[in-house]
Amino acid sequence: MTAVIDQALVRTEPRTRFNEVWRVVRLHAVTPSVFFGIPWVILGGAWVVSMVVGIIITGASADVAKMGEGMRYSWAVLSPQWYLVVVGVQAIGMTLSFALGFGATRRDFWLGTSLMFGIVSLLNAVAIATLVQLEKATGGWWIGISMFDALWYGQNGWLVDFYTTLALQLLVLFIGASITTVYLRWRMRGMMILMFGAIALVLAAVAIATFTESWPMIFEWLGGIGIVGVFTVVLGLAAFFAIGGYFVIRRATPR
Amino acid sequence: MTRTVVRASGLTKRYGTFTAVDAVDFTLEENRIYGLLGRNGAGKTTVMQMLTGQIFPDGGTLDVFGREPAEHADVLRRICFIAESQRYPDSFKPSHVFKAAPWFFEHWDAEFAERLIHDFRLPLNRYVKKLSRGQLSAVGVIVGLASRAPLTFFDEPYLGLDAVARHIFYDRLLEDYAEHPRTIVLSTHLIDEVANLLEHLLVIDQGRILLDRDADEVRGSATTVAGGRAAVDSFVADRAVIGRESLGGLASVTIDERLGQADRIRAAEHGLELAPVSLQQLIVHMTGTDLRADPTEQEVAA
Repeated sequence: MTAVIDQALVRTEPRTRFNEVWRVVRLHAVTPSVFFGIPWVILGGAWVVSMVVGIIITGASADVAKMGEGMRYSWAVLSPQWYLVVVGVQAIGMTLSFALGFGATRRDFWLGTSLMFGIVSLLNAVAIATLVQLEKATGGWWIGISMFDALWYGQNGWLVDFYTTLALQLLVLFIGASITTVYLRWRMRGMMILMFGAIALVLAAVAIATFTESWPMIFEWLGGIGIVGVFTVVLGLAAFFAIGGYFVIRRATPR
Repeated sequence: MTRTVVRASGLTKRYGTFTAVDAVDFTLEENRIYGLLGRNGAGKTTVMQMLTGQIFPDGGTLDVFGREPAEHADVLRRICFIAESQRYPDSFKPSHVFKAAPWFFEHWDAEFAERLIHDFRLPLNRYVKKLSRGQLSAVGVIVGLASRAPLTFFDEPYLGLDAVARHIFYDRLLEDYAEHPRTIVLSTHLIDEVANLLEHLLVIDQGRILLDRDADEVRGSATTVAGGRAAVDSFVADRAVIGRESLGGLASVTIDERLGQADRIRAAEHGLELAPVSLQQLIVHMTGTDLRADPTEQEVAA
């Protein structure tokens, strides 16, 4: 055995290391179909279906105004959201293992993934809010359909549409990602505890609200804070999942 | 002066009641080629996962480049470890792996990677999950070689590789190692294939280090003595026996000893045959069941 004097390493590791975080963003974007391609194919598909339905109804000379009104209750504009939960799951479940193999830290990986989520949500929010305005400007793509201008969209201007989409996108991505970190850290046992814990919490909240007869108050409050207020709560939830995921992933061990 | 790159003491990993790695001590020196040898499930991968910060030890201390590896970017950027069971995102093709590699390995040599891809005939535009076992091994081998990380792990690099590809790996590794010295850890259970590459051996079995020695010292350190049972038994009576086989009146016993001139002459006089033991045979003897089982029982079974 060689007698060794370990030289203290010169630490070249700053607390904020943008390059280490940014390369994780690039890693997520190296196959752009996952974050950008497929969600827009889904949304595009929903748009084509809405257009075809619109053409059929118009062709049958039905009441166009009534059709537009009916379509306002279609969830087509939200169709990519379910897929984005899966994207959140896969971003952690598959890419973390790979990134660790390439020498990324869990901290940098989570920060980079969060930044990627932020970028994707921002771009989608800009696009969807703009499409809402386009749909209104073209009179429902010239045939009176109402796909983007639906649900809560199209009533309070571009900025509100942008803000609500941003909050919703961040929430679905971070829910998928943070729940996956629980699985990676505590496996099935953790998932069970999380699931039953969440169910118990919801039931307890419902019971408390029912017994104290505070449902009217809750609805009044929700009505009072309005669309923007509700989505600020959504954004808060997204932040909660983002911060929770950071702490859970620090000791997670993917297989 | 050689510098110690890795120092593990009392390193332990448990999974429930199963102890995968049981208080092992070892060090890895700079710029050497290590063989981490052992049977399937011996704990090789667990050791490497701890060394690369992918899993957290349950006990002991671990120093890699002077610090605990897990979550220390400064340590991890000097390490390359593509596990044999490495998972890739579903959407990944080898081209994506090699595109991302230079962002993570500062010494990445794209030209070298290009050459290796050509040598191994690796299809770049096929999904990773559609690759054959050998092609998957090739991805790991190419990343390991072209990354030129100061501490590089090859986890079962030969799995599924054909003879030509194994030869290419062997050649390229030695060639590149000569030009760019670094610390290399090769984990494998195909020992004879890599025997000549290795400079130092770590043999692990059931979570314990059985052997931690220079490869040159180990080569030829054991001898097999074969002949009539009585003659063999008397010859090996006071020696360290590590393996024993017998058939009728004949016996073949492996002893952990390099025989001197006098012993050789004595063996010849008794009509005994002496044969060198290959690294693989030696490790089979060390980690096989015959070591622990009662030798008389073995004979009855034989």
